[in-house]
Amino acid sequence: MKKRKRLHLKTILIKNQYPILMTKVDINITVGGPQGGGIDTSSNMISRAFAQSGYFVFGVREYHSNIKGRHSYTHVRIKDERPRSLKYPIDFLVALDPDSIFEHLEDVGHGTKIIYDSAIEKAELSQARMIMKDTALKIKETLTEESYPNTISGAIAWMKSRGAIPIAVPFTSVVQQAISGGVPSRYFNTLGAALTLAISGVNIKHMNESIRLVFSGKDKIIEENIAVVKAAYDYCSQNKLASETLPDIDHPKRYMLTGNDGAAIGKMMGGLRFQTYYPITPASDESTIMEEHNYIRWVDSEASKLKEAGIVVVQTEDEISAITMAIGAALTGTRTATATSGPGFSLMAEGFSFAGTDEVPLVVTLYQRGGPSTGLPTRNGQSDLLFAMNTGHGEFPRIVMSSGDVEECIYDSMKALNYAQRYQMPIIHLIDKNLANTSDFISGIDGKKVPVNATKFEVHGLNFKRYDLNTKNGISNLGAFGKDIFWMTGDEHDELGHVTEDSDVRDRMMVKRFTKLETADSEIPLEDKAILYGDKNAEVTFVTWGSQKGPILDVIDLLAEEGIKANLLYVKMFIPFPTKFVTDILSKAKIVIDVESNFLGQLAEVIMGKTGIKIENRILKYNGRHMTEDEILSASREIINNKEKKVEKVLKHGA
Amino acid sequence: MAHNFKTDVTVDWCPGCGDFGILTSIQQSMAELNIDPLGVVMVSGIGCSGKTPHYINVGGIHTLHGRSIPFATGVKLSNPNLKVVVTGGDGDLMGIGVGHLVAEGRRNSGLTIMIYDNEVYGLTKGQAAPTMPLEQKTKSLSRPNIFTRLNPIALALSSGYSFVARGFSFDMKQLKEIIKKAMNHPGSAVIDILQPCPTYNNINTMEWYKERVYKLEDDKNWNPLVSKENIADADSIFAMSMARAQEWGDKIPTGIFYRNTALDPFPVRISKNVPNYFETVPAEQRISSADGYTVVDAEKTFEDRLIG
Ligand SMILES: Cc1ncc(C[n+]2csc(CCOP(=O)(O)OP(=O)(O)O)c2C)c(N)n1
Ligand code: SF4
Ligand SMILES: [Mg+2]
Repeated sequence: MKKRKRLHLKTILIKNQYPILMTKVDINITVGGPQGGGIDTSSNMISRAFAQSGYFVFGVREYHSNIKGRHSYTHVRIKDERPRSLKYPIDFLVALDPDSIFEHLEDVGHGTKIIYDSAIEKAELSQARMIMKDTALKIKETLTEESYPNTISGAIAWMKSRGAIPIAVPFTSVVQQAISGGVPSRYFNTLGAALTLAISGVNIKHMNESIRLVFSGKDKIIEENIAVVKAAYDYCSQNKLASETLPDIDHPKRYMLTGNDGAAIGKMMGGLRFQTYYPITPASDESTIMEEHNYIRWVDSEASKLKEAGIVVVQTEDEISAITMAIGAALTGTRTATATSGPGFSLMAEGFSFAGTDEVPLVVTLYQRGGPSTGLPTRNGQSDLLFAMNTGHGEFPRIVMSSGDVEECIYDSMKALNYAQRYQMPIIHLIDKNLANTSDFISGIDGKKVPVNATKFEVHGLNFKRYDLNTKNGISNLGAFGKDIFWMTGDEHDELGHVTEDSDVRDRMMVKRFTKLETADSEIPLEDKAILYGDKNAEVTFVTWGSQKGPILDVIDLLAEEGIKANLLYVKMFIPFPTKFVTDILSKAKIVIDVESNFLGQLAEVIMGKTGIKIENRILKYNGRHMTEDEILSASREIINNKEKKVEKVLKHGA
Repeated sequence: MAHNFKTDVTVDWCPGCGDFGILTSIQQSMAELNIDPLGVVMVSGIGCSGKTPHYINVGGIHTLHGRSIPFATGVKLSNPNLKVVVTGGDGDLMGIGVGHLVAEGRRNSGLTIMIYDNEVYGLTKGQAAPTMPLEQKTKSLSRPNIFTRLNPIALALSSGYSFVARGFSFDMKQLKEIIKKAMNHPGSAVIDILQPCPTYNNINTMEWYKERVYKLEDDKNWNPLVSKENIADADSIFAMSMARAQEWGDKIPTGIFYRNTALDPFPVRISKNVPNYFETVPAEQRISSADGYTVVDAEKTFEDRLIG
């Protein structure tokens, strides 16, 4: 394990006035514990407390496909500027149980503070039954190799030998300082958060405010938790663990949103009024979030004109029903979507093909997790790009697009709904699990960033030709049941929508449908398809899509500090594909590195197919864990230093 | 002028097919109910039965094999003002699509579902459908059927449908009346329609049925209605309907087996969670302002995500 220098907090005093912070706060924290043990609450408290004092927090949630007991954790990074990635080694490991020490053995480095309960020191690896067998074996080998005992003490000693700083705290007695009676372990999550904040120097008033927000409305719980916080802060100051108070910084109003939140918000703003889903990780949170925010608040200028309204969210019997019910709803003129993940989308293939041939405006938000089959149900993956581009039998047009950060989730979801209406075709909006579960601080949600181009449904009267062949751009008038009489069929159809097997009409309908894709290609602006970040004339060109965008942008900054000029070709749309733009960039690029969370390098395959350009260097990760800044940085260095030969680096990190 | 519910699409069922009687019954029901042709949507699956919407001059969706119910539910829930009628085969609705049939019973969205019960997969040349009895060998089967028979009435009852009936395609007068009642019923209705397929089913022919069918309504004491007024008797009425549903063979009951007006339809249940659901149905909501931007104030709607 490499030792790396930690960035320390630097404050300088200008004219003896307020401490002005140089942009050097950079803290990575992992809070781990058993699933169901309040990890989310704990990291929520940490995020909110830092937010109160003005910092930005960026985090990812990792969890097993399990409800209670197995290891879960959140990894957050705190900076005074908005972070875009996470980084190892971490600065704090907050272990709420023994498993969290064992599981994160390799995440610590020089200076990492390990906060744990002194009562667990004797716990043995062999007793940690909730650690997956193979993982336990790996941990055992790591410890045994250097003759450390297979216990928490052994693991702590191993970490200490890497420069980590163990901070054993008697959890139970600290809690008992604050609360008599009850089950002390119930407060361990608050305790862990409070110790972390005290040690990193966050003002106690922010932690208390954060408790009030997290437990809002539950006065007794607030009171108890605030008492625990005080006990934790007291413990830290008595034992000289507390740091100097971190200065507050000015900050704009911000929203803490996940990728799931972003998609829900964007869809609601984009006019979605009907959503179907069948429960599946990591997609169903989006639908639940919509249900929770179902009382839509209108913009001021409309509030007096519109009645209160909500969105119909229907949990269906399966994903076949989810997509076909969404299609049915789209046919009344309602903006409609469904959200799913790989296994569910496989079931949707036949319905998707119907939406293609019948020109139905439909959005499928496709959350990617580790496949194939059930795969890694709660872990990250980007292995469904080629599937999304080819789902369903027969040939029909579709738009396939993806988002790479929480803000993009919002505005792309709006655009997806617009495209669906304008081009009358199914749209697949890809969001990877890492992004779905990323929480980020967004300063404001802009209702004027993307227009909502509502379709004007006219009553067409007799002999309405829903599939009128006389169009230049392939787009015929959309009808709505309730206003028009027309027919639809999954069979090839005539202009009215009746079944036909006429060979000429068949040909013309095929051309009509695909003409819409050309129209879409010509109308959709380039920046919605691909973006070049950084200097055109760079030595290194990264190519990626989805949630690696943030970490790569951070890596580009770090490489610049080393004197290496790098840029990023970030692809957002795969159908229609920005062939010319990508060709122009890649044909002139020097060292090109494809970065993807899959095995095949699917974007690289698409690029090869579209442009004929083969990307030789690859950084891939398919173990289901998020890519971090440090990993991409060291893999890129290796590639850059090996100019002569092609390198494929498979990233392995992550608990 | 009264709306003509016929289209000029050529009907291409085999001569003597029971489907003709069903089509006519549907068209007559709509005419007699004086239905607004814009206010009704026909939804079908795939099979001979699936062609029905093309022959009726109202909005029609000829969907996928087995999937007519969720398509129809989407239409209904996004615009609960519409009447939505489903026509599908026994293979379509009780074979490949049976999960949706059961799920819709639990929803009770307000669909009128007609099962074209010919005991075979017509359009794929006569394979055994779920309603064919064990060991029956129709002429298209190379050996006797080795599946047992599914009972559509019992299935519909246990799925929770609030209107369950059986019609016979060669008794259009009765069938038409059942369809009219089903279309005016607030919840979802299943009508199992005995539909001879002369091409592939040489056993359950028109004559075979004619010898066996009798009408439930001929018994003046038959009253299977559960309403808010007699809700205390709900269980015994359901048991009576279920018992009658078991009858098959020498005597086959037709007519209405069960009706329940006390159960809230799905749209009513939705309206308890979605403000003004009926006043501004999803299909009619205005989603953009005059200047073409969203009407949703996301910052206010998601105020709980404000972090300071
Ligand atoms: C997914 C799928 N599988 C198979 C088929 C082929 N198929 C077409 S019609 C049909 C059976 C129709 O039987 P039924 O539903 O009883 O309708 P009928 O023709 O008897 O009216 C089948 C299996 C299909 N269209 N789609
Ligand atoms: S095959 Fe049977 S069900 Fe199909 S049209 Fe012919 S007679 Fe009717
Ligand atoms: Mg059949």
